Amino acid sequence: MNLERIPNEEKLSLCRRYYLGGFAFLPFLWLVNVLWFFREAFLKPTYTEQLQIKSYVKKSALGLIVWVAVLTTWITIFQHFRAQWGEVGDYLSFTIPLGTA
Amino acid sequence: MNTSDSEEDSYNERSALVQCESPTIPSYHQDHDMSLPQETDTKRGRPVSSGLDEPGLVERERAATPDGEEEELTLKYGAKHVIMLFIPVTLCMVVVVATIKSVSFYTEKTSQQLIYTPFKEDPNSVGQRLLYSLLNTIVMISVIVVMTIILVVLYKYRCYKFIHGWLILSSLMLLFWFSFMYLGEVFKTYNVAMDYPTLAMIIWNFGVVGMICIHWKGPLRLQQAYLIVISALMALIFIKYLPEWSAWVILAAISIYDLIAVLCPKGPLRMLVETAQERNEPIFPALIYSSAMVWMVGMADSNNPDSADERQRNEGGALAQEGVESEDDVALGGRRRCSAEEDLEEDRGVKLGLGDFIFYSVLVGKAAANGGDWNTTLACFVAILIGLCLTLLLLAIFKKALPALPISITFGLVFYFSTDNLVRPFMDSLAAHQYYI
Repeated sequence: MNLERIPNEEKLSLCRRYYLGGFAFLPFLWLVNVLWFFREAFLKPTYTEQLQIKSYVKKSALGLIVWVAVLTTWITIFQHFRAQWGEVGDYLSFTIPLGTA
Repeated sequence: MNTSDSEEDSYNERSALVQCESPTIPSYHQDHDMSLPQETDTKRGRPVSSGLDEPGLVERERAATPDGEEEELTLKYGAKHVIMLFIPVTLCMVVVVATIKSVSFYTEKTSQQLIYTPFKEDPNSVGQRLLYSLLNTIVMISVIVVMTIILVVLYKYRCYKFIHGWLILSSLMLLFWFSFMYLGEVFKTYNVAMDYPTLAMIIWNFGVVGMICIHWKGPLRLQQAYLIVISALMALIFIKYLPEWSAWVILAAISIYDLIAVLCPKGPLRMLVETAQERNEPIFPALIYSSAMVWMVGMADSNNPDSADERQRNEGGALAQEGVESEDDVALGGRRRCSAEEDLEEDRGVKLGLGDFIFYSVLVGKAAANGGDWNTTLACFVAILIGLCLTLLLLAIFKKALPALPISITFGLVFYFSTDNLVRPFMDSLAAHQYYI
């Protein structure tokens, strides 16, 4: 789908839907939203809907940063303390590396 | 992996669909594209002729726009399309070969087989093995034929909801279940600890964004990437679960079936393509890879009296079916045949069915899995690309839907068996005797 050839209202609606969809635990969707609409929002000459698209892109970026922080924290904690957690660690693990305690 | 019947069904349908469809579609809808250069030629002719007084000159002017120019445009577009298809096909094969070489799961033969290949090959007796692989092939091909016919019938009787539901179910399975398996195996191979919450997030994001991109609207590049990934996943499943000899015979048989189904007047795939073209509808999303980068600059600015009408129809078309890039392209392409001022830069692109990706990758993957010699793998890779070039050339000549499997698979098979049996021992003994050529 090429953003060039759809009218501005549709672009806005698409951006908005991607933004709302990201609330369903979908930071990847927010990432796609930011990357896809970045040029539309910031590098194009102004048009009516651009302000709203800009706000959606900014909010998606914010949500994305929050999710990345949360995930990074969790992954770091898990990888570091997994061995020490014993049974709980095993229960949480999908794959357990061989050869470590 | 214990595969349940329901999984088998949707998987089968998916593979069947993809196989049938792709062959069908791999056929490129280049007729849209081909009409483009001709259109622009006549368009260019018109302004010139309107400026001239004598009708005689007009005639000559028109005649003077020689076929040479048209041919040149055809060739130029043809070459571009070849490149546009080389890249995704190569990427898919690279993903499959990389996985085969690194993750041993996909080369471990289990005693489990798909229900579509019910006969177990006995490695001891050559005759029996050959017979069983032929029987397996017959079973598989008949399943595919039946599925294709059901699909065509459903399409003819406009049971779109059913088809869409079927497609959504199978993409769901591909995007969630197969990628879950794949990730699990990759993590095991690299000895990485992974916890369930993170894994759930990854699979959930991957799957949902994939469904959105493929079945609804999404960036073109992302959609193409997802289609390549699901083709690779499917090819890996085939490589793992098809028995050795059956796989080769199935590849050969599928190419023949493809040839028949697309070119014979009563072939199911041909009927599917023709019906879709009659109704000016795109073939289903999630079954075709579209390389188009289309834009309608001309439409917005043109003074053509048709444009408003066309734009309405375009929007109608786009809204009526949940537009995916490929759908929009075909819908627009159908209309654009009659549009006046089109930017010469508009490129309709080519469409290749996903089944083609899958079977090309199966061939190269099996070449990589057996023996692990890079000569064979590279030879098959080159053979397939040559076949693809030739097919595109034929497409430029014939300008109608063509099967993409036969030529490439034939070359691939020939190259595989000859390289494996002739070149490899040759290279081995050269290396053993330290003789460099």
